[in-house]
Amino acid sequence: MAARVLQHCVRTLRLSSGHLALRAAVVPAAPLHRALSFYSADRRTRCVNRIPSLDVLCRQYGHLPPLTLESIEERVLYVLKLYDKINPEKLQATSHFMKDLGLDSLDQVEIIMAMEDEFGFEIPDGEAEKLMSPDDIVQYIADKKDIYE
Amino acid sequence: MTASTRRTVLSLYMRVFRIARSWQAQSGVASDTETEKKYMLQEASTLFRQNQQLTDPESIKRCLEECEARIEIGLHYRNPYPRAMHLPPLGLATQKGRKLRAQQRLRKQAKPVYLQSHDDS
Repeated sequence: MAARVLQHCVRTLRLSSGHLALRAAVVPAAPLHRALSFYSADRRTRCVNRIPSLDVLCRQYGHLPPLTLESIEERVLYVLKLYDKINPEKLQATSHFMKDLGLDSLDQVEIIMAMEDEFGFEIPDGEAEKLMSPDDIVQYIADKKDIYE
Repeated sequence: MTASTRRTVLSLYMRVFRIARSWQAQSGVASDTETEKKYMLQEASTLFRQNQQLTDPESIKRCLEECEARIEIGLHYRNPYPRAMHLPPLGLATQKGRKLRAQQRLRKQAKPVYLQSHDDS
C-alpha cells in the first residue's frame, strides 16, 4: 500500500515538474499533501516531510566528480604554483620546466611525484622523465584516464 | 654523465620519494612518522644536489652505491638516519699533532660507503 502511495507521489511529482506554469499544478499538489500525511501517519518511524524524489527508487554510489580537461589543467597549475621553486607569474601551460622555468631534473622528479599524489595514480619512470611541461602532464593524465574533448 | 646513469640516478631519487610516501615510524608515534618522512626527503634532496656536479664515473658509482646502501639499511632497520660508526683504533690525533695526516687517512679509509657524502672532519 505504501508502494502505491509512493508511485502516486512520483507520478504527481512528474506532472508538477512538467507543468509548473499551469494552475493545474495546484490541483495535484493537494492530493500530494494528503497522500504525504497519510503516508507519514502510516509509518511513524519514517520522517517524510520532504517530497520523496525519484532517487529513492534507485541506488546511489559515491564517486569522484568526473574529470575534464579544464579541471585537470587547473589542478596541475595549482600544484605547480604551490611549488616553491617556481615563480607563479612566469608559469604558463606551455612553459618548459628546464628551458623556461630553470628547473633541473631532480626538481622535475619532485613535480611528477606531486602530480602522482594529487591524482592518485602511479606514473612509471620511463614516462615520467619525458613530461617536460604542464601541457605534457595534462595530456598524459587525460590519456591515462581516457578523457576526450 | 651518460644517459643510463642519469636514468639510474633519477629512478633512485623517485624510489626514495615512494618509500617516504608509505613510511611508518618504528615507534608508531605519528609525529615521528612526519619528522622521519621530512628528514628523508630533505636528506635526499641535499645529498643529490651536493653530488650533482660530479663527472668522474668512479665517484658517481660510489655515490650510487651509497644511495642504495642507505636505502637498504633504512628499510631493514626502519630507521632513515645514517648508521653511526665508531672511530678506528688510533684514529684520533695525539696531543702533539704529529700523526695528524696518518689519522686522517685512517679515518677516511674506515668510513663506510653509506657515509661517503657526509663531511665529518
